[in-house]
Amino acid sequence: MSNREAWASRIGLVLAMAGNAVGLGNFLRFPRQAALNGGGAFLIPYFVAFLALGIPLMWVEWSMGRYGGQFNQSTTAGQFDRMWRNRWAKILGSLGISIPLLITIYYCYIESWTLAYTFFSVGKTYFGSTEQSSMNLFLRSYQGIAEGGPFSSMVPAVGFWLVTLGLNLWVVYRGISGGIEKLAKIAMPLLVVFAIILVVRVITLGTPDPAYPDRNVGNGFGFVWNPDLSLLGSFPVWLAAAGQIFFTLSIGSGSIQTYASYLKKDDDCAVTGLATCATNEFVEVVLGGSIAIPIAVAFFGLEATRAIAAQGSFDLGFVAMPVIFQKLPLGAIFGALWFSLLFFAGITSSVALLSPFVALLKENMGLSRKAAVAVTGGVLFVFGLPILLLLQHGYMDQYDFWIGTVLLVVFSLIETLIFVFAFGRASGGGGGGILSWLRNAGVAGWEEMNRGADMRIPRIFFYIIKLVLPLLLIFLLVGWLWEDLTSKSSVILMRGVEGEAALYQWISRGSIILLMVGVAVLVAVAWKRREQ
Amino acid sequence: MNVGGWVFLALGWGLAIGLSVFSFARILRKEK
Repeated sequence: MSNREAWASRIGLVLAMAGNAVGLGNFLRFPRQAALNGGGAFLIPYFVAFLALGIPLMWVEWSMGRYGGQFNQSTTAGQFDRMWRNRWAKILGSLGISIPLLITIYYCYIESWTLAYTFFSVGKTYFGSTEQSSMNLFLRSYQGIAEGGPFSSMVPAVGFWLVTLGLNLWVVYRGISGGIEKLAKIAMPLLVVFAIILVVRVITLGTPDPAYPDRNVGNGFGFVWNPDLSLLGSFPVWLAAAGQIFFTLSIGSGSIQTYASYLKKDDDCAVTGLATCATNEFVEVVLGGSIAIPIAVAFFGLEATRAIAAQGSFDLGFVAMPVIFQKLPLGAIFGALWFSLLFFAGITSSVALLSPFVALLKENMGLSRKAAVAVTGGVLFVFGLPILLLLQHGYMDQYDFWIGTVLLVVFSLIETLIFVFAFGRASGGGGGGILSWLRNAGVAGWEEMNRGADMRIPRIFFYIIKLVLPLLLIFLLVGWLWEDLTSKSSVILMRGVEGEAALYQWISRGSIILLMVGVAVLVAVAWKRREQ
Repeated sequence: MNVGGWVFLALGWGLAIGLSVFSFARILRKEK
């Protein structure tokens, strides 16, 4: 326990946790989801999911991490092993190491685009691509998937990716308080300041082109907020809202548990966990909802924005926004603010996602910090390079679906079941039959959650965690699988994917399984060595 | 933006800002 790392301050911890949660999705995914799923009415299922899914899972993960930290266990492998005396617990827990690592593998590439576009804004590199079609060509040319654009090779893309990897590894190498906490203390306030500047710019835009009086900021906010209450009965809208809460809070990856493991035994989880959720919601609902979509409506009109929103987050962020910046006075500066805030949002998340794997190598495998970071860098490079080179073949789509969607929910379900039904079972009394066992289920977790709490967590959350949360997670999992299977572009069935692309997508799936099995083997080896 | 939009904007912003103020006030009070 003596040389175990720790957070230097509580504010630093909240900022690092919030940095973990706040990502590109707060600025690109949320306003799209709201606009496409009932506007203001989306807020009803959104906040229901926030209360029934987001906050409870956040508390579960914080408590789990802090509990494991008492036994020097920074990853869910060790934490599950402590909470559930079963030889498979650590193997299931290894998912909380491989999932965040797999996310970082593709997330760092997207993060590198934001870094590149920050420089492209300052240097006005994309200025001249004034139409969405030409800006789209710019992006695809940068990614190496279209010819005839300004980039003749992928060297810039690979270069920015390597710089992004280097920055991430450097922060992780500096440690919890010396790297991650310091980064959060700088990046998070800057992100909020940059976002506020952009929001003020958007609000004061009025009607940019008097020839189109409908294209104004008021209608832009209306597109995000005007409620369509008829959609409240729609299953996909509730699914989208629950999904947004899930993604935005970065729950289900295992990274929150690693951060929380550096808490002290009686440190508060309740208020600090709530502050993390609140910061994320402020950035998402107040700031994220007030930039990209409203400004797009002001410049392109409702119909065009609806089409952009339907195409996806990247079109909104990397195609529509740069076109708009070229129409604004001081557009290069606003462009740099936009992309650097996205970069800050990205890097504060990716360093969190890297932490479990580095902790495994360092604390369970006995590697030095330098060696652990070097191995992590090697894995990121080897598994990440195909993401860059095979982007046009849907290689990254497989990662995004299986890791960023399915496995996050699966892992959340596993951790919730362990927290409720396995944790404290030995001390919860042997006899009494199944009814007694069911009655005692979740009690140990609830007590752990409330230890050292700076506020009394309302009792209703005990029942939400015990009864509602597992059902909600099953609902989400089934809903998403069903949604994909019935979609024309099903990732599971690889509908419409043929020839070379099908081969590469199978290789992508293979690489996911390889890494997951590899991490599980590392965990098994580490435990074997410890037992010897 | 219509009246409903303003209502939901106020609701969303109010919840997000209110929750942030509540939790950070608690943390800062404890820090002192």
